[in-house]
Amino acid sequence: MKLLFKIIFFIFLTSSQLYASEASKWLKTEIDFILEAYSNANISNEKRFLIIENTVNYNFAGKGIAKFISGKAWKHASKETKEKYIKFFKKHLALNVASIMQGYVNQEYNLIDSKYDSKNKVSLVDMIISTNSSNITITWRVKQSKERFYIIDLLVADISLVVTKRSEFNSMLKNVNYSLDIFSELLNKQNEESYKLLIN
Amino acid sequence: MKAKKNILILISIFLFSFPLWSLESDKINTNSEDFETSNYEDEIYDPLESVNRIIFSFNNAADQIILEPISKGYRKLPSPIQTGIGNFLNNLKMPLVVINQLLQGQGGNAVETSGRFIINSTAGLLGLIDVAEKVGLEQKQEDFGQTLATWGVGDGFYIVLPIFGPSNVRDASGMILTSITDPINAYAVKEGEGWIIPVKTASNAINDRSKIIDEVNALRNNSLDYYAAVRSSYYQNRKAAILNNNDNTSMPLPLISIEFE
Repeated sequence: MKLLFKIIFFIFLTSSQLYASEASKWLKTEIDFILEAYSNANISNEKRFLIIENTVNYNFAGKGIAKFISGKAWKHASKETKEKYIKFFKKHLALNVASIMQGYVNQEYNLIDSKYDSKNKVSLVDMIISTNSSNITITWRVKQSKERFYIIDLLVADISLVVTKRSEFNSMLKNVNYSLDIFSELLNKQNEESYKLLIN
Repeated sequence: MKAKKNILILISIFLFSFPLWSLESDKINTNSEDFETSNYEDEIYDPLESVNRIIFSFNNAADQIILEPISKGYRKLPSPIQTGIGNFLNNLKMPLVVINQLLQGQGGNAVETSGRFIINSTAGLLGLIDVAEKVGLEQKQEDFGQTLATWGVGDGFYIVLPIFGPSNVRDASGMILTSITDPINAYAVKEGEGWIIPVKTASNAINDRSKIIDEVNALRNNSLDYYAAVRSSYYQNRKAAILNNNDNTSMPLPLISIEFE
């Protein structure tokens, strides 16, 4: 009985590790793709963002994150409003990721550690970015669904992008009486400003 | 003697009023019916929000005009110089880190940090070279805010301090305790070299700010409400520091559904 328990435990540990390492390999390809877009001097800034936006939209669980971040405003919004909000949110997410990654273009990075959180079925992949005098850790939270991976969050020095956005959006939503419709317009305006700053 | 007594009374008032402030901060509750996706607490207790926002705007302007440009200039210094300055400043913090580790019952860590301080102050040429890291003595940070949190003191309400930035009642009190008990500060005052204190504080600010230039810009350029974003970031960062997070497995996980991607 004890032996059987040990074997099951061993299989569980090994499969968790394999799962995390698979997520890490997948993630490296996607990060390299984004960083290559930045280092390619032959493409315009607009084209570069388009490549990054497509990569982010394909790899992040954009709809799920959008729903989570909108908090209680989600429940009473119409289907059309939700669709409009998701569209603007995905652009907002891409602008945020592009802006974060832009700072790390000429710096060395290593995916050093990957763990599998079996309780939540999430892989955590640590990426260390080495700057001149210090290191910064980015943790990617990756979940598997429909036989592929999705990024559900990224933490820069222990600060979650998703949690920060939820707190920020909640503060704005409070001012517009939790109307997702009015908020989406504000989000769109912010996207335009962020886009200008990123492109120029 | 009288001044010492007054300081002790002030500290006592601070410490004894924590439970009251903590109770206030506990009043914020989320309603689980509001959203199906998570049990996250969205709101941080911020009764002084309007005043905080004014101070935050001032700090933000000061950062953009003064601190950020200086930090960018600092980052252009040769890498070994930056590393040396960073190591030196970190080494000066070690005596207080040891005190806080002891107050938190982290005997092993306190011994390790003391070892770091002795090795780096001697073989590391007054802390300029991090020799201790090379022999496996890892750097750890603890402050009075973290110690008070470990003792069960609640956050209290959120405050933005002029120049010093985001904080809360507990951490701001911790900061006061730090400046009172810092042996380097005490030595500087005793020797009539009080100018060392603001220089040390400013150097720490520049060194720390230079490490997060890109991250701050990314947050600032993409925020609908930069104030709320910084407030949330501050709380997450402190929570991780209090938990002594070595990996992010213990950090709260947003419950994000990916079923409809």
